[in-house]
Amino acid sequence: MLHVPRDLAAGLGDVTLRASLTSIGLALALIAVLTAALAAASFVVDVEHVTIIYLIPVLVAATRGGVVPALIAAVIGLGAAVFFFFPPLYDFYVDSPVEVVDLVLFIFVAVVTGKLAADVRQAKMRAQADALRDALIGSVSHELRTPLASIMGAASVLAQSPQIAADERLAPLARVLREETERLDSHIQNMLDATRISSDGIRPQAEWVDPCDIVNAAVAHRQNLLQKHELKVTVAEDLPLVQVDSSLVEKALGQFIENAVKYSPPASAIEITATPSPRAVRLTVSDQGAGISHDELQRIWDRFYRAPRHRDRITGSGLGLWIARALVNACGGRVEASSPGIGHGALLSIYLPVAPHPGPEHVDD
Amino acid sequence: MTSPQPAVLVIDDEVQIRRFLRAGFELEHFTVVEADAAESGLRAATLRSPDLIVVDLGLPDRDGSTVVERVRSWSDVPIIVLSVRANEDEKVRLLELGADDYVVKPFGMAELLARARAALRRHSRGNAGEPTVKIGPLMIDLAARTVSVDGTRIQLSPKEYRLLQVLAQHAGNVVTHQHLLKEVWGARHVQDAHYLRIFVRKLRQKIEKDPTQPRILVTELGVGYRLAQGAEQEDSASRGISNSS
Repeated sequence: MLHVPRDLAAGLGDVTLRASLTSIGLALALIAVLTAALAAASFVVDVEHVTIIYLIPVLVAATRGGVVPALIAAVIGLGAAVFFFFPPLYDFYVDSPVEVVDLVLFIFVAVVTGKLAADVRQAKMRAQADALRDALIGSVSHELRTPLASIMGAASVLAQSPQIAADERLAPLARVLREETERLDSHIQNMLDATRISSDGIRPQAEWVDPCDIVNAAVAHRQNLLQKHELKVTVAEDLPLVQVDSSLVEKALGQFIENAVKYSPPASAIEITATPSPRAVRLTVSDQGAGISHDELQRIWDRFYRAPRHRDRITGSGLGLWIARALVNACGGRVEASSPGIGHGALLSIYLPVAPHPGPEHVDD
Repeated sequence: MTSPQPAVLVIDDEVQIRRFLRAGFELEHFTVVEADAAESGLRAATLRSPDLIVVDLGLPDRDGSTVVERVRSWSDVPIIVLSVRANEDEKVRLLELGADDYVVKPFGMAELLARARAALRRHSRGNAGEPTVKIGPLMIDLAARTVSVDGTRIQLSPKEYRLLQVLAQHAGNVVTHQHLLKEVWGARHVQDAHYLRIFVRKLRQKIEKDPTQPRILVTELGVGYRLAQGAEQEDSASRGISNSS
């Protein structure tokens, strides 16, 4: 699924090249037809000032192929006009100043219309690519999640049934099914988020939110994951409200929590805090785990980066922190990581900007 | 109506989902009626008059939201929506159309049952005119307009009480920000979400043991708030978490 945008881009590249070639061909054919028609007409009327008609192939080339085919069509069309219809006939020599003005005007109009038509075309293509991407994301999400929903639902019913709940060998299996399904679902979510980010598709919907709600939601969604650790949550009272997309920040904080769980031993402490900071609210996740070396600190936010010392021991995609950073940045915030060194735990922070909001006092009763 | 064997109508085109929903509901002594599309679902809803409807959002013939809208035009039967879309706007739209609550796939049966029971209670309370709502240590007497925590009466401002009252009427189910703003501050203030945030914070300071880690008045990010039914169990389950603030 990660390859979706790349395949999509390659596909669009092919389409673009083919469209350019066909549009040039079409423009050439049109120029030939127009020239023949004008040559026939020239026996009856004076066709010297009809260069404007060669804008038609330019427009066709621009709308179908873009700006380069438009320019090629303009040059060839102009050549045809000068060669066949400008006296002296059948050469590329232009003598009168009026004709020179004509030609300059033609080139100018051709370039401008070509550029405009090409812009329209590109906007249309981008919209198509967006629609295609959304459709892909939607169908991937639906196709993968529907069976997952059946598995998790069935597992939860099994866990609930009196026969299985009473059997201490079977009951944990139903729990395993549920937990592993949740894990798979979060991997799918990560891939979808990664796809959205790399195709520039995050559209944050900012709303006023209490930072404590973000922290609590992030913890509540990962209750199962956090079972084996000693969790401490500290939220300062009277934190300012922030105006962010709460679900994006919750996801980012969730990535930090998942990281802390993954890279720290069972029963060690994980601490989550929300505290005021100058012009910002700071959310942190700290653990007593593997820590981050100085070199790793430079790269942990990179896509697909995984520290070599973890690669064989702990599974991961190298996407989590990259996703977290992109989501937080999209909300106008920033992320930060620090660590006292390998084996001494890590501290990951999110800073959310604080903006003034109108007080509600005047609506109280 | 809510007989000892409440009837649930399940409208979902995925046979595997219907299968586990049937088993899950039957284990909890519901009678299950199934439909695999919106049209047949709407027909079953009129013919069988179920006590509860569970409808999937993506149906083959039309969107599940149409089912919500059509059923709501003639019935106030509790409706729970199943959705694969984790899109907050979509959830808000469905709730505004009249759905009582939603669960996002993949979900566990316990989660769906909790939502379903809350919606059934809301419905029977509405019919029976039951005046009190109890959530963990919190007791709201809707007739006497009093609120107490662990038996001690607490003072709320009229707007704080109104906020709690609207949430209590839907206890256990989510109530959208927009609905709360409209009910408490009036239609002109539907966009003024920060009023709501600040009042919820004040209310939590009065009813929650730790207002920064609420167990009673919980947030559904990007959607609304919920008075958590079964707050007691959740409370004891999370005692392991040490708090300090």
